Amino acid sequence: MARFLVKRLGWMLLTIWVVYTVSFFLMRAVPGGPFSSEKKIPPAIKRNIEARYKMDRPIHEQYFSHLWSTICLDLGPSYKLEDYTVNEVIAQGFPVSASLGIFAMFFALTVGLTSGVISAVHRNSPYDLSFMLMATIGIAVPNFVLASIAVVLFVFVWPIFPAAGWGQLSQIILPAICLGAPFAGYIARLTRTGMLEVLGMDYIRTAYAKGLGTRQVVVRHALRGALLPVVSYLGPATAGILSGSLVLERIFALPGMGSHFIEAATQRDYTLAMGMVLIYTVLLFVMNTLVDLSYSIIDPRVEVEG
Amino acid sequence: MSHKIRTIFPCLVLVVGAMAMVWAVSFGTLPRADFAFNNGDEIKTVDPAKATGVPEGRVINALFEGLLRQHPLERAPDEHGIVPLAPATRGVAESYSISDDGRIYTFHLRSTARWSNGEPVTAEDFAWSWRRMLHPETGSQYAYQLYYVVGAEAYNMSQVKVGDQVEVELEDRENPQQLFPRGTILRGILTGMDDAAENFSVEVKEEKAGQIDWQGDGQLRHFTKVTAEKPGEGERCYHLLPDFDSHVGIRVTAGDTLVVTLNNRTPYFTDLVAFYPLYPVNRKCVEQHGSPNWTKPGNIVSNGPFLLEFRRIRDRVRMIRNPDYWNAGIVDLQVVDALAIKSQTTSLNMYINGQLDWTTTVPNPIIPDLRDRPDFKTAPMLTTYFYRLNVERPPLDNVLVRQALNMAIDKKKIVEKVTKAGQLPARSFVPPGLPGFKSALCGEFNPERARQLLAEAGFENGRGLPRIEILYNTSEGHRDIAQVIQQDWKKNLRINVILRNLEWGTFLDTLNETDYAVARSGWIGDYADANTFLDMFVTGGTNNETNWGNSEYDQLIKKAGKEKDSERRLEILHQAERILMDEMPIIPIYFYRSINMVQDRVEGFSANIQDIHPLHLLRVRPHGE
Repeated sequence: MARFLVKRLGWMLLTIWVVYTVSFFLMRAVPGGPFSSEKKIPPAIKRNIEARYKMDRPIHEQYFSHLWSTICLDLGPSYKLEDYTVNEVIAQGFPVSASLGIFAMFFALTVGLTSGVISAVHRNSPYDLSFMLMATIGIAVPNFVLASIAVVLFVFVWPIFPAAGWGQLSQIILPAICLGAPFAGYIARLTRTGMLEVLGMDYIRTAYAKGLGTRQVVVRHALRGALLPVVSYLGPATAGILSGSLVLERIFALPGMGSHFIEAATQRDYTLAMGMVLIYTVLLFVMNTLVDLSYSIIDPRVEVEG
Repeated sequence: MSHKIRTIFPCLVLVVGAMAMVWAVSFGTLPRADFAFNNGDEIKTVDPAKATGVPEGRVINALFEGLLRQHPLERAPDEHGIVPLAPATRGVAESYSISDDGRIYTFHLRSTARWSNGEPVTAEDFAWSWRRMLHPETGSQYAYQLYYVVGAEAYNMSQVKVGDQVEVELEDRENPQQLFPRGTILRGILTGMDDAAENFSVEVKEEKAGQIDWQGDGQLRHFTKVTAEKPGEGERCYHLLPDFDSHVGIRVTAGDTLVVTLNNRTPYFTDLVAFYPLYPVNRKCVEQHGSPNWTKPGNIVSNGPFLLEFRRIRDRVRMIRNPDYWNAGIVDLQVVDALAIKSQTTSLNMYINGQLDWTTTVPNPIIPDLRDRPDFKTAPMLTTYFYRLNVERPPLDNVLVRQALNMAIDKKKIVEKVTKAGQLPARSFVPPGLPGFKSALCGEFNPERARQLLAEAGFENGRGLPRIEILYNTSEGHRDIAQVIQQDWKKNLRINVILRNLEWGTFLDTLNETDYAVARSGWIGDYADANTFLDMFVTGGTNNETNWGNSEYDQLIKKAGKEKDSERRLEILHQAERILMDEMPIIPIYFYRSINMVQDRVEGFSANIQDIHPLHLLRVRPHGE
């Protein structure tokens, strides 16, 4: 397992370097720059500003100097949020996105697992049908549409939540539900399928034959086997929640990483955009590695390969 | 994988999950502000010398105060619905006087003005702040606002020649990344330098208590810049600049007196002084923490009606009332939140929901539904929406074609059907509402005359005309307007028009390279004078971007800059606009209106031409009354 982790780490570093290099040159290849604006700056002043950010140096020199500071975990000053460094922006944005993601994941897992198990156990019952209908709707409707509907319903028609913003617990619930809904739908369907498959197996029949009750059979014996597809889905789900929050953060005015990412790209804030690309890369890599690890723990048939 | 781990694992996952939830819930609740408004965007910085935008202006105007201040007039609008801005009123300056030739401004500071660290605001603070703003390393985008001051431009651009009195900064800063504090500064006479001004020699004079004897003996020393491509043998240094004290027209004659000498008579200089880039910063604070760390809450020292409590990036700037502000008696708001919400719909939702007291943006499509509400406040603005024409690209090189294009656009239809907020169609480039200025008008909508002009240009019924492309930055509003114009030109002139949208950064680059035929543009007046609009179209001007140039026009703009009589000056500017409207390198489309929605509980909010609403003049009734 140690070998597996070391190998993964090696791959991660290589991936980060490739992502870094590609993003670095792609960003600078796009027309426009951080200091172009509708009200143009006299060229001499623009030179002064570029000198401040060392943008007057040749591009390979910029590449290596910025690469070195990135290795030292210093992502440099943000070009557009002049009072902050990229590290500070991430330090402020990450907890917002993380807590939104945690809430969304919590919602997706509890709702998805519960309804999936109920659907499988009471197969073809009205519960099953209505849960699966909701799951299909949840998957089919994009989260920003869901968000608009949710705002109309729960902010204006039945005013129980604030419209947007960040700072109170009540402000995060609506965006978390909208973000988690499609994943709840997927998880419900995966759980139901996995559960149905497991429930037909011999060892379940043996468990019933021993005289165990339905609850015990389902929770102690069937659930673990049924969870496998769900666990392997958690990797892509994390990625989805991370990227899904880009839109929702804008709609609900949450100051998370998603809003920083979008703004950095459109404003040509090279350093901040780079910081965001790298942190997303690292997050995805780490989450996928964790999923692979937990997979091997849950399923005895899976060995992680070193 | 042992069985034990396998049993523990589900519990472990549950525990980690529970801890994550607890952590996510733990973000504390924030007490509500007295007054919350949507500032529209995250501010780039609170450093007055480096900020540029409107959202930054709202915050900086609350945190800092300049010698003078812009105040809205509380009075009824004129027949165009225009409320002009009052002349700049006194801020830190208690009084000021202008010399007869209009070039020397003497500001007397009030003794009651204090920094938030308790120290008095002195004339030296302004001299130092303006020097910092002009220093090349600060990279201030608005440094040109001070170019009216003698020697300021040369200092900002490091222009020196042999024989000049210069200042040289040695490479001995404690932290080279910080713009201030600076290293040792030597002053002397430049005796020689290479072409790139990288290696040079200076006869360094001895400085005694800040005084220098320029005639006295000096010591010849050689220097080389740290950024030099061909470094020489000399002592390493950062900058070679004209000597500030002897070249730049900014003088402190007493602790409370600042004397500023301008190149020419500049009637709008008071407006510039009242504009936030010329607001002061605290030297001690900047030198102690360096840039940008001095702007952090806890470090920052300011002198305005509010203090910075905290900032959350792309969320809010929270400010609290400054009890030591010299005019604290008029400040009513205790806690103010400036939110950075970019989505117009979200902003409106929060406003309707009562989370916001003032929203500065409203989505265009629902303006007709909101216009008649009493809390919908709108007023003409000092801003023009116009199209640039690339006069080097045929057929736009023909002035008759340009005039025909203008006369074929039904601008009234655009403001009534597309923008819908009561904007005025534009027939001049300078918006109405500037006292004493009479706009020169271009041709009005007249398809018949437009066709004639086109025929005179040799394109009867549009024959032989190439396709024309309208370029705009991606936005629904710009697209809708471009579509109306596309139809108008097709219908009235039989010109085929194609539309092309580009994302903002690419759009600006394309405009800069004048790689377009027709391009959508907008211009906000920097100060309340026609000059801020007209001087951008001088030949080769940085913001010209149309390839258009006219020597008579250039002469008029220059002449206006020197004219003493204000009436005659405005007449000269009128003549200049006459040329612009005859030659038409641009087609004015409409004049913007400011759009604000303000809750009933807010008092003291008055719409005005520059859309300025100082927070310290607003009053609120408590929530729920």
